[in-house]
Amino acid sequence: MGAIDIAFSSLLFSFFLLAIPILLSIKYGFGLIKPLLLAVFRMCIQLVLIGIFLKYLFIWNNSIVNICWIIIMVTAAVFSVLKDSALRVRKVFMPVFITFFITIFSVVVYLNFMVIKLNNIFDAKYLIILSGMLLGSSLRGCIVGISYFYKSIKKDSKRFLYILALGADRNEVILPYLKESIQLALKPRIATMATMGIVALPGMMTGVILGGGSPVDAIKYQIMVMVSVVACATATVILSVLVTLKICFDKYGILQMDVFTDSDKNMPAQKNKTWSGL
Amino acid sequence: MGGQKQIPISLKNVSLSFSGKKVLDDISFEVKSGEKIILSGKSGSGKSTIFNIILGFVQPDSGELLFDSEKIDDKHVWEVRKKISYIDQESSLGIGNTLDYLMFISGLKTNLQKEFSLNRINELLEYFELENEVLNKNLEKLSGGERQRIAIMISILLERKVFLLDEVTSAVDVFLKKKIAKYYLNKDDWTCLIISHDPIWLENSSTKIFEMDTSSWAQ
Repeated sequence: MGAIDIAFSSLLFSFFLLAIPILLSIKYGFGLIKPLLLAVFRMCIQLVLIGIFLKYLFIWNNSIVNICWIIIMVTAAVFSVLKDSALRVRKVFMPVFITFFITIFSVVVYLNFMVIKLNNIFDAKYLIILSGMLLGSSLRGCIVGISYFYKSIKKDSKRFLYILALGADRNEVILPYLKESIQLALKPRIATMATMGIVALPGMMTGVILGGGSPVDAIKYQIMVMVSVVACATATVILSVLVTLKICFDKYGILQMDVFTDSDKNMPAQKNKTWSGL
Repeated sequence: MGGQKQIPISLKNVSLSFSGKKVLDDISFEVKSGEKIILSGKSGSGKSTIFNIILGFVQPDSGELLFDSEKIDDKHVWEVRKKISYIDQESSLGIGNTLDYLMFISGLKTNLQKEFSLNRINELLEYFELENEVLNKNLEKLSGGERQRIAIMISILLERKVFLLDEVTSAVDVFLKKKIAKYYLNKDDWTCLIISHDPIWLENSSTKIFEMDTSSWAQ
Protein backbone atom coordinates (compact mmCIF):
# COMPACT_ATOMS: atom_id res chain seq x y z
CA MET A 1 0.00 0.00 0.00
CA GLY A 2 0.97 3.65 -0.30
CA ALA A 3 2.12 5.74 -3.18
CA ILE A 4 5.38 4.88 -4.92
CA ASP A 5 8.12 6.92 -3.31
CA ILE A 6 9.60 9.57 -5.56
CA ALA A 7 13.37 9.81 -5.24
CA PHE A 8 14.64 13.35 -4.65
CA SER A 9 16.76 13.03 -7.77
CA SER A 10 13.67 12.08 -9.74
CA LEU A 11 11.75 15.02 -8.31
CA LEU A 12 14.20 17.25 -10.14
CA PHE A 13 12.68 16.04 -13.40
CA SER A 14 9.37 17.63 -12.43
CA PHE A 15 11.12 21.00 -12.37
CA PHE A 16 11.95 20.58 -16.07
CA LEU A 17 8.25 21.20 -16.67
CA LEU A 18 8.88 24.78 -15.59
CA ALA A 19 10.68 25.16 -18.91
CA ILE A 20 7.26 25.51 -20.54
CA PRO A 21 6.16 28.71 -18.78
CA ILE A 22 9.71 30.05 -18.78
CA LEU A 23 10.27 29.59 -22.51
CA LEU A 24 6.83 30.97 -23.36
CA SER A 25 7.43 33.92 -21.10
CA ILE A 26 10.75 34.65 -22.81
CA LYS A 27 9.21 34.35 -26.27
CA TYR A 28 6.16 36.54 -25.57
CA GLY A 29 7.64 38.76 -22.89
CA PHE A 30 5.05 37.96 -20.22
CA GLY A 31 7.46 38.99 -17.47
CA LEU A 32 6.51 35.89 -15.51
CA ILE A 33 9.90 34.38 -14.88
CA LYS A 34 10.93 36.24 -11.74
CA PRO A 35 7.64 35.97 -9.82
CA LEU A 36 7.25 32.37 -10.97
CA LEU A 37 10.68 31.26 -9.81
CA LEU A 38 10.26 33.13 -6.56
CA ALA A 39 6.91 31.45 -5.95
CA VAL A 40 8.34 28.01 -6.77
CA PHE A 41 11.23 28.64 -4.41
CA ARG A 42 8.93 29.75 -1.59
CA MET A 43 6.62 26.81 -2.15
CA CYS A 44 9.51 24.32 -1.97
CA ILE A 45 10.94 25.78 1.22
CA GLN A 46 7.53 25.98 2.91
CA LEU A 47 6.54 22.47 1.90
CA VAL A 48 9.85 20.96 2.95
CA LEU A 49 9.56 22.63 6.33
CA ILE A 50 5.96 21.61 6.79
CA GLY A 51 6.85 18.07 5.64
CA ILE A 52 9.51 17.76 8.29
CA PHE A 53 7.22 19.33 10.85
CA LEU A 54 4.28 17.07 10.04
CA LYS A 55 6.53 14.04 10.16
CA TYR A 56 7.35 14.79 13.79
CA LEU A 57 3.78 15.78 14.63
CA PHE A 58 2.68 12.35 13.39
CA ILE A 59 5.45 10.57 15.30
CA TRP A 60 4.68 12.37 18.59
CA ASN A 61 0.93 12.32 17.99
CA ASN A 62 0.35 14.33 21.14
CA SER A 63 -3.17 15.76 21.42
CA ILE A 64 -2.05 19.01 23.02
CA VAL A 65 0.67 19.59 20.43
CA ASN A 66 -1.85 18.85 17.69
CA ILE A 67 -4.33 21.37 19.04
CA CYS A 68 -1.56 23.94 19.40
CA TRP A 69 -0.69 23.43 15.77
CA ILE A 70 -4.31 24.03 14.80
CA ILE A 71 -4.24 27.28 16.77
CA ILE A 72 -1.21 28.35 14.73
CA MET A 73 -2.93 27.40 11.46
CA VAL A 74 -6.09 29.29 12.44
CA THR A 75 -4.04 32.34 13.42
CA ALA A 76 -2.36 32.38 10.02
CA ALA A 77 -5.70 31.88 8.29
CA VAL A 78 -7.39 34.71 10.16
CA PHE A 79 -4.51 37.07 9.38
CA SER A 80 -4.89 36.17 5.75
CA VAL A 81 -8.66 36.77 5.80
CA LEU A 82 -8.37 40.12 7.54
CA LYS A 83 -5.44 41.29 5.42
CA ASP A 84 -7.57 40.96 2.32
CA SER A 85 -10.76 42.22 3.89
CA ALA A 86 -9.63 45.84 4.34
CA LEU A 87 -10.52 45.62 8.03
CA ARG A 88 -8.01 46.56 10.68
CA VAL A 89 -6.51 43.31 12.00
CA ARG A 90 -5.98 44.78 15.47
CA LYS A 91 -9.67 45.63 15.81
CA VAL A 92 -11.31 42.39 14.82
CA PHE A 93 -8.68 39.66 15.12
CA MET A 94 -9.83 38.08 18.37
CA PRO A 95 -13.52 37.53 17.60
CA VAL A 96 -12.77 36.22 14.11
CA PHE A 97 -10.06 33.93 15.48
CA ILE A 98 -12.45 32.46 18.06
CA THR A 99 -15.11 31.98 15.38
CA PHE A 100 -12.73 30.14 13.07
CA PHE A 101 -11.21 28.01 15.79
CA ILE A 102 -14.52 26.90 17.28
CA THR A 103 -16.08 26.19 13.89
CA ILE A 104 -13.20 24.25 12.37
CA PHE A 105 -12.30 22.42 15.54
CA SER A 106 -15.83 21.30 16.32
CA VAL A 107 -16.53 20.18 12.75
CA VAL A 108 -13.31 18.14 12.60
CA VAL A 109 -13.90 16.57 16.00
CA TYR A 110 -17.44 15.75 14.87
CA LEU A 111 -16.13 14.11 11.68
CA ASN A 112 -13.51 12.14 13.58
CA PHE A 113 -16.01 10.97 16.15
CA MET A 114 -19.21 10.46 14.19
CA VAL A 115 -18.11 9.80 10.62
CA ILE A 116 -14.62 8.28 10.66
CA LYS A 117 -15.17 6.88 14.18
CA LEU A 118 -11.57 7.22 15.35
CA ASN A 119 -10.49 5.87 18.71
CA ASN A 120 -8.43 8.98 19.29
CA ILE A 121 -10.37 11.93 17.88
CA PHE A 122 -7.28 14.12 18.30
CA ASP A 123 -5.15 11.85 16.12
CA ALA A 124 -2.65 14.06 14.32
CA LYS A 125 -3.16 12.58 10.87
CA TYR A 126 -6.86 13.28 10.82
CA LEU A 127 -7.12 16.30 13.08
CA ILE A 128 -4.42 18.33 11.38
CA ILE A 129 -4.99 17.29 7.78
CA LEU A 130 -8.75 17.74 7.91
CA SER A 131 -8.46 21.04 9.78
CA GLY A 132 -6.00 22.31 7.18
CA MET A 133 -8.28 21.29 4.39
CA LEU A 134 -11.41 22.88 5.88
CA LEU A 135 -9.51 25.98 6.88
CA GLY A 136 -8.06 26.44 3.41
CA SER A 137 -11.42 26.00 1.78
CA SER A 138 -13.36 28.22 4.19
CA LEU A 139 -10.74 30.92 3.87
CA ARG A 140 -11.55 32.08 0.37
CA GLY A 141 -15.27 32.17 1.02
CA CYS A 142 -14.76 34.06 4.22
CA ILE A 143 -12.52 36.68 2.59
CA VAL A 144 -15.13 37.26 -0.11
CA GLY A 145 -18.02 37.29 2.36
CA ILE A 146 -16.66 39.52 5.09
CA SER A 147 -15.06 41.96 2.61
CA TYR A 148 -18.23 42.28 0.60
CA PHE A 149 -20.34 42.80 3.70
CA TYR A 150 -18.37 45.73 5.09
CA LYS A 151 -17.32 47.25 1.79
CA SER A 152 -20.84 47.24 0.40
CA ILE A 153 -22.26 48.92 3.49
CA LYS A 154 -19.52 51.52 3.27
CA LYS A 155 -20.03 52.04 -0.43
CA ASP A 156 -23.81 52.17 -0.14
CA SER A 157 -23.83 54.30 2.95
CA LYS A 158 -26.91 56.26 1.87
CA ARG A 159 -28.92 53.14 1.15
CA PHE A 160 -27.87 51.68 4.47
CA LEU A 161 -28.80 54.84 6.37
CA TYR A 162 -32.14 54.93 4.61
CA ILE A 163 -33.00 51.44 5.87
CA LEU A 164 -31.94 52.53 9.36
CA ALA A 165 -34.14 55.59 9.05
CA LEU A 166 -37.07 53.38 8.09
CA GLY A 167 -36.92 52.03 11.62
CA ALA A 168 -35.15 48.74 10.93
CA ASP A 169 -33.58 47.15 14.00
CA ARG A 170 -29.95 46.05 14.17
CA ASN A 171 -30.60 42.67 12.59
CA GLU A 172 -32.99 43.87 9.94
CA VAL A 173 -30.66 46.52 8.63
CA ILE A 174 -27.75 44.15 8.05
CA LEU A 175 -29.79 41.25 6.73
CA PRO A 176 -29.89 42.29 3.04
CA TYR A 177 -26.11 42.76 3.09
CA LEU A 178 -25.48 39.51 4.95
CA LYS A 179 -27.63 37.65 2.45
CA GLU A 180 -25.70 39.04 -0.52
CA SER A 181 -22.38 38.28 1.18
CA ILE A 182 -23.27 34.67 1.87
CA GLN A 183 -24.50 34.12 -1.66
CA LEU A 184 -21.33 35.60 -3.09
CA ALA A 185 -19.11 33.59 -0.75
CA LEU A 186 -20.81 30.26 -1.34
CA LYS A 187 -21.64 30.46 -5.03
CA PRO A 188 -18.24 29.26 -6.27
CA ARG A 189 -18.21 26.51 -3.61
CA ILE A 190 -21.58 25.24 -4.72
CA ALA A 191 -20.59 25.47 -8.38
CA THR A 192 -17.43 23.46 -7.70
CA MET A 193 -19.45 20.86 -5.85
CA ALA A 194 -21.86 20.51 -8.74
CA THR A 195 -19.10 19.77 -11.26
CA MET A 196 -16.95 17.67 -8.96
CA GLY A 197 -15.62 14.51 -10.48
CA ILE A 198 -16.41 15.59 -14.01
CA VAL A 199 -14.43 18.75 -14.48
CA ALA A 200 -11.83 18.11 -11.82
CA LEU A 201 -10.60 15.35 -9.61
CA PRO A 202 -10.33 16.96 -6.20
CA GLY A 203 -7.10 16.99 -4.25
CA MET A 204 -8.37 14.91 -1.37
CA MET A 205 -9.45 12.13 -3.72
CA THR A 206 -6.20 12.25 -5.66
CA GLY A 207 -4.34 11.95 -2.39
CA VAL A 208 -6.29 8.96 -1.13
CA ILE A 209 -5.99 7.11 -4.45
CA LEU A 210 -2.25 7.79 -4.83
CA GLY A 211 -1.88 6.84 -1.17
CA GLY A 212 -3.16 3.39 -2.05
CA GLY A 213 -6.82 3.74 -1.11
CA SER A 214 -9.50 2.46 -3.44
CA PRO A 215 -11.48 5.00 -5.50
CA VAL A 216 -14.53 4.08 -3.42
CA ASP A 217 -12.72 5.04 -0.20
CA ALA A 218 -11.52 8.18 -1.93
CA ILE A 219 -15.05 9.13 -2.91
CA LYS A 220 -16.35 8.65 0.61
CA TYR A 221 -13.67 10.95 1.99
CA GLN A 222 -14.29 13.46 -0.75
CA ILE A 223 -18.03 13.59 -0.09
CA MET A 224 -17.41 14.03 3.62
CA VAL A 225 -14.95 16.82 2.96
CA MET A 226 -17.16 18.66 0.46
CA VAL A 227 -20.14 18.69 2.80
CA SER A 228 -17.97 19.82 5.70
CA VAL A 229 -16.41 22.57 3.61
CA VAL A 230 -19.78 24.07 2.76
CA ALA A 231 -20.84 23.86 6.40
CA CYS A 232 -17.62 25.48 7.62
CA ALA A 233 -17.59 28.15 4.94
CA THR A 234 -21.19 29.17 5.70
CA ALA A 235 -20.64 29.16 9.45
CA THR A 236 -17.37 31.10 9.32
CA VAL A 237 -18.76 33.81 7.03
CA ILE A 238 -21.95 34.36 9.03
CA LEU A 239 -20.30 34.12 12.43
CA SER A 240 -17.34 36.32 11.45
CA VAL A 241 -19.76 39.03 10.41
CA LEU A 242 -21.93 38.63 13.49
CA VAL A 243 -19.06 38.69 15.97
CA THR A 244 -17.53 41.78 14.40
CA LEU A 245 -20.77 43.79 14.29
CA LYS A 246 -20.41 45.10 17.83
CA ILE A 247 -16.91 46.34 17.09
CA CYS A 248 -17.59 47.77 13.66
CA PHE A 249 -20.88 49.56 14.35
CA ASP A 250 -21.56 52.07 17.09
CA LYS A 251 -24.59 52.07 19.37
CA TYR A 252 -26.49 54.19 16.85
CA GLY A 253 -26.02 51.44 14.26
CA ILE A 254 -23.49 53.46 12.24
CA LEU A 255 -20.47 51.80 10.62
CA GLN A 256 -17.24 53.12 12.10
CA MET A 257 -14.62 54.22 9.61
CA ASP A 258 -11.73 53.45 11.94
CA VAL A 259 -12.27 49.71 11.49
CA PHE A 260 -10.96 50.02 7.94
CA THR A 261 -7.29 50.10 7.08
CA ASP A 262 -6.07 53.53 6.01
CA SER A 263 -5.70 52.47 2.41
CA ASP A 264 -9.36 51.55 2.33
CA LYS A 265 -10.87 54.54 3.99
CA ASN A 266 -10.85 56.67 0.84
CA MET A 267 -12.32 59.44 2.87
CA PRO A 268 -10.95 62.56 4.48
CA ALA A 269 -10.47 62.16 8.19
CA GLN A 270 -13.73 62.97 9.86
CA LYS A 271 -14.17 63.78 13.45
CA ASN A 272 -16.85 61.26 14.19
CA LYS A 273 -15.32 58.73 11.88
CA THR A 274 -18.66 58.02 10.31
CA TRP A 275 -19.57 58.50 6.70
CA SER A 276 -23.04 59.86 6.97
CA GLY A 277 -23.48 62.22 4.07
CA LEU A 278 -23.43 65.75 5.28
CA MET B 1 -47.46 70.10 27.38
CA GLY B 2 -50.71 70.84 29.34
CA GLY B 3 -53.09 72.09 26.62
CA GLN B 4 -50.13 73.28 24.57
CA LYS B 5 -49.21 71.68 21.30
CA GLN B 6 -46.80 68.75 21.52
CA ILE B 7 -43.23 69.40 20.43
CA PRO B 8 -41.96 66.45 18.39
CA ILE B 9 -38.58 67.99 17.60
CA SER B 10 -36.50 70.38 19.63
CA LEU B 11 -32.89 71.48 19.17
CA LYS B 12 -31.15 73.48 21.87
CA ASN B 13 -27.81 75.16 21.13
CA VAL B 14 -26.66 72.42 18.79
CA SER B 15 -23.14 72.78 17.36
CA LEU B 16 -21.11 70.47 15.19
CA SER B 17 -17.76 70.73 13.44
CA PHE B 18 -16.16 68.51 10.85
CA SER B 19 -12.43 68.58 10.25
CA GLY B 20 -12.20 71.90 12.04
CA LYS B 21 -15.04 73.49 10.02
CA LYS B 22 -18.15 74.55 11.92
CA VAL B 23 -21.13 72.98 10.20
CA LEU B 24 -23.73 73.88 12.81
CA ASP B 25 -23.20 76.85 15.08
CA ASP B 26 -25.44 77.09 18.11
CA ILE B 27 -28.68 76.15 16.37
CA SER B 28 -31.89 76.20 18.43
CA PHE B 29 -35.46 75.73 17.30
CA GLU B 30 -38.62 73.86 18.11
CA VAL B 31 -41.01 72.14 15.77
CA LYS B 32 -44.54 71.91 17.13
CA SER B 33 -46.93 69.16 16.19
CA GLY B 34 -48.54 69.76 12.79
CA GLU B 35 -46.14 72.54 11.81
CA LYS B 36 -44.61 72.74 8.36
CA ILE B 37 -41.14 74.21 8.51
CA ILE B 38 -38.71 75.00 5.74
CA LEU B 39 -35.02 74.93 6.63
CA SER B 40 -33.46 77.64 4.55
CA GLY B 41 -29.81 78.50 4.00
CA LYS B 42 -26.92 78.39 1.58
CA SER B 43 -25.69 75.02 0.47
CA GLY B 44 -23.28 73.77 3.13
CA SER B 45 -25.17 75.60 5.85
CA GLY B 46 -25.90 72.29 7.55
CA LYS B 47 -29.52 71.74 6.58
CA SER B 48 -29.13 68.04 5.81
CA THR B 49 -26.90 67.71 8.87
CA ILE B 50 -29.88 68.65 11.03
CA PHE B 51 -31.72 65.63 9.60
CA ASN B 52 -28.67 63.42 10.14
CA ILE B 53 -28.47 64.51 13.75
CA ILE B 54 -32.17 63.91 14.42
CA LEU B 55 -31.82 60.40 12.96
CA GLY B 56 -28.68 59.68 14.97
CA PHE B 57 -26.38 59.32 11.95
CA VAL B 58 -24.05 61.91 13.48
CA GLN B 59 -23.80 63.22 16.99
CA PRO B 60 -23.45 66.91 17.76
CA ASP B 61 -20.41 68.21 19.61
CA SER B 62 -22.64 70.08 22.02
CA GLY B 63 -26.25 70.99 22.60
CA GLU B 64 -29.37 69.00 23.23
CA LEU B 65 -31.76 67.21 20.92
CA LEU B 66 -35.21 66.13 21.96
CA PHE B 67 -37.83 64.03 20.22
CA ASP B 68 -41.25 64.01 21.86
CA SER B 69 -39.56 65.76 24.77
CA GLU B 70 -37.09 62.92 25.28
CA LYS B 71 -33.37 63.18 24.66
CA ILE B 72 -32.21 61.43 21.49
CA ASP B 73 -29.48 59.08 22.67
CA ASP B 74 -28.12 55.73 21.48
CA LYS B 75 -31.14 53.89 22.91
CA HIS B 76 -33.97 56.31 22.16
CA VAL B 77 -32.77 56.87 18.59
CA TRP B 78 -34.03 53.43 17.53
CA GLU B 79 -37.56 54.44 18.62
CA VAL B 80 -37.22 57.90 17.08
CA ARG B 81 -36.44 56.36 13.69
CA LYS B 82 -39.65 54.35 13.89
CA LYS B 83 -41.66 57.54 14.23
CA ILE B 84 -40.07 59.49 11.40
CA SER B 85 -40.54 59.28 7.65
CA TYR B 86 -37.32 60.40 6.05
CA ILE B 87 -36.41 61.00 2.44
CA ASP B 88 -32.82 61.90 1.66
CA GLN B 89 -31.59 64.17 -1.10
CA GLU B 90 -30.88 61.36 -3.54
CA SER B 91 -33.95 59.29 -2.64
CA SER B 92 -31.54 56.46 -1.83
CA LEU B 93 -33.72 53.44 -2.20
CA GLY B 94 -32.42 49.89 -2.38
CA ILE B 95 -31.67 47.83 -5.43
CA GLY B 96 -33.79 45.31 -7.27
CA ASN B 97 -37.47 45.12 -8.06
CA THR B 98 -39.58 48.04 -6.79
CA LEU B 99 -42.44 45.94 -5.46
CA ASP B 100 -39.99 43.59 -3.72
CA TYR B 101 -38.43 46.59 -2.04
CA LEU B 102 -41.82 47.85 -0.88
CA MET B 103 -42.50 44.40 0.54
CA PHE B 104 -39.12 44.38 2.27
CA ILE B 105 -40.03 47.66 3.96
CA SER B 106 -43.48 46.43 4.91
CA GLY B 107 -41.83 43.30 6.36
CA LEU B 108 -39.75 45.30 8.86
CA LYS B 109 -41.06 44.58 12.36
CA THR B 110 -41.99 48.16 13.00
CA ASN B 111 -44.14 48.30 9.85
CA LEU B 112 -45.99 45.02 10.20
CA GLN B 113 -49.18 46.75 11.29
CA LYS B 114 -49.08 49.24 8.43
CA GLU B 115 -51.30 48.88 5.42
CA PHE B 116 -49.03 48.22 2.45
CA SER B 117 -51.87 46.72 0.42
CA LEU B 118 -51.78 46.77 -3.36
CA ASN B 119 -54.94 48.89 -3.34
CA ARG B 120 -53.28 51.55 -1.24
CA ILE B 121 -50.13 51.38 -3.36
CA ASN B 122 -52.15 51.75 -6.57
CA GLU B 123 -54.04 54.67 -5.12
CA LEU B 124 -50.78 56.49 -4.41
CA LEU B 125 -49.31 55.54 -7.78
CA GLU B 126 -52.29 57.16 -9.40
CA TYR B 127 -52.12 60.31 -7.32
CA PHE B 128 -48.42 60.77 -8.02
CA GLU B 129 -48.93 60.03 -11.72
CA LEU B 130 -46.84 56.88 -11.84
CA GLU B 131 -47.54 53.96 -14.14
CA ASN B 132 -48.30 50.62 -12.51
CA GLU B 133 -45.32 49.17 -14.38
CA VAL B 134 -42.83 50.93 -12.11
CA LEU B 135 -43.60 48.25 -9.55
CA ASN B 136 -42.05 45.64 -11.80
CA LYS B 137 -39.06 47.75 -12.76
CA ASN B 138 -35.70 47.70 -11.01
CA LEU B 139 -35.16 50.68 -8.72
CA GLU B 140 -31.83 51.40 -10.39
CA LYS B 141 -33.61 51.74 -13.73
CA LEU B 142 -36.11 54.36 -12.53
CA SER B 143 -35.63 58.00 -13.48
CA GLY B 144 -34.79 60.50 -10.75
CA GLY B 145 -38.36 61.78 -10.73
CA GLU B 146 -39.82 58.29 -10.50
CA ARG B 147 -37.48 57.36 -7.67
CA GLN B 148 -38.40 60.52 -5.84
CA ARG B 149 -42.09 59.70 -6.09
CA ILE B 150 -41.56 56.11 -4.94
CA ALA B 151 -39.66 57.46 -1.92
CA ILE B 152 -42.57 59.85 -1.28
CA MET B 153 -45.04 56.96 -1.53
CA ILE B 154 -42.99 54.97 0.98
CA SER B 155 -42.93 57.92 3.37
CA ILE B 156 -46.73 58.01 3.20
CA LEU B 157 -47.24 54.24 3.42
CA LEU B 158 -45.27 54.21 6.68
CA GLU B 159 -48.20 56.08 8.31
CA ARG B 160 -45.93 58.16 10.50
CA LYS B 161 -46.61 61.68 11.69
CA VAL B 162 -43.21 63.33 11.48
CA PHE B 163 -41.52 63.90 8.11
CA LEU B 164 -37.98 64.91 7.24
CA LEU B 165 -38.04 65.76 3.54
CA ASP B 166 -34.76 66.62 1.84
CA GLU B 167 -35.25 68.06 -1.67
CA VAL B 168 -38.07 65.69 -2.51
CA THR B 169 -39.40 67.71 -5.45
CA SER B 170 -36.13 68.51 -7.20
CA ALA B 171 -36.54 66.05 -10.08
CA VAL B 172 -40.21 66.47 -10.99
CA ASP B 173 -42.09 69.04 -13.09
CA VAL B 174 -43.98 72.01 -11.68
CA PHE B 175 -47.33 70.27 -11.85
CA LEU B 176 -46.06 67.37 -9.75
CA LYS B 177 -44.16 69.67 -7.38
CA LYS B 178 -47.49 71.31 -6.56
CA LYS B 179 -49.26 68.01 -6.09
CA ILE B 180 -46.54 66.65 -3.82
CA ALA B 181 -46.30 69.80 -1.69
CA LYS B 182 -50.08 69.93 -1.39
CA TYR B 183 -50.21 66.33 -0.21
CA TYR B 184 -47.92 66.99 2.73
CA LEU B 185 -49.04 70.53 3.53
CA ASN B 186 -52.74 69.67 3.65
CA LYS B 187 -52.35 67.11 6.39
CA ASP B 188 -52.92 69.06 9.56
CA ASP B 189 -51.56 66.41 11.91
CA TRP B 190 -48.35 65.84 9.95
CA THR B 191 -45.25 67.60 11.21
CA CYS B 192 -42.91 68.34 8.33
CA LEU B 193 -39.35 69.60 8.34
CA ILE B 194 -38.54 70.45 4.75
CA ILE B 195 -35.38 71.25 2.84
CA SER B 196 -36.21 72.53 -0.62
CA HIS B 197 -35.25 75.14 -3.14
CA ASP B 198 -38.74 74.99 -4.65
CA PRO B 199 -40.83 78.07 -3.74
CA ILE B 200 -43.91 75.89 -4.14
CA TRP B 201 -43.63 74.82 -0.50
CA LEU B 202 -44.07 78.44 0.59
CA GLU B 203 -47.46 78.81 -1.05
CA ASN B 204 -49.08 77.59 2.10
CA SER B 205 -49.39 80.58 4.39
CA SER B 206 -48.83 78.60 7.55
CA THR B 207 -45.40 77.35 6.46
CA LYS B 208 -42.64 78.79 8.60
CA ILE B 209 -39.07 79.38 7.51
CA PHE B 210 -36.07 78.80 9.71
CA GLU B 211 -32.92 80.58 8.54
CA MET B 212 -29.92 78.36 9.18
CA ASP B 213 -27.39 81.12 8.58
CA THR B 214 -28.74 83.30 11.37
CA SER B 215 -30.35 80.52 13.40
CA SER B 216 -33.61 82.44 13.52
CA TRP B 217 -37.15 82.44 12.14
CA ALA B 218 -37.73 84.41 8.96
CA GLN B 219 -40.03 87.52 9.01
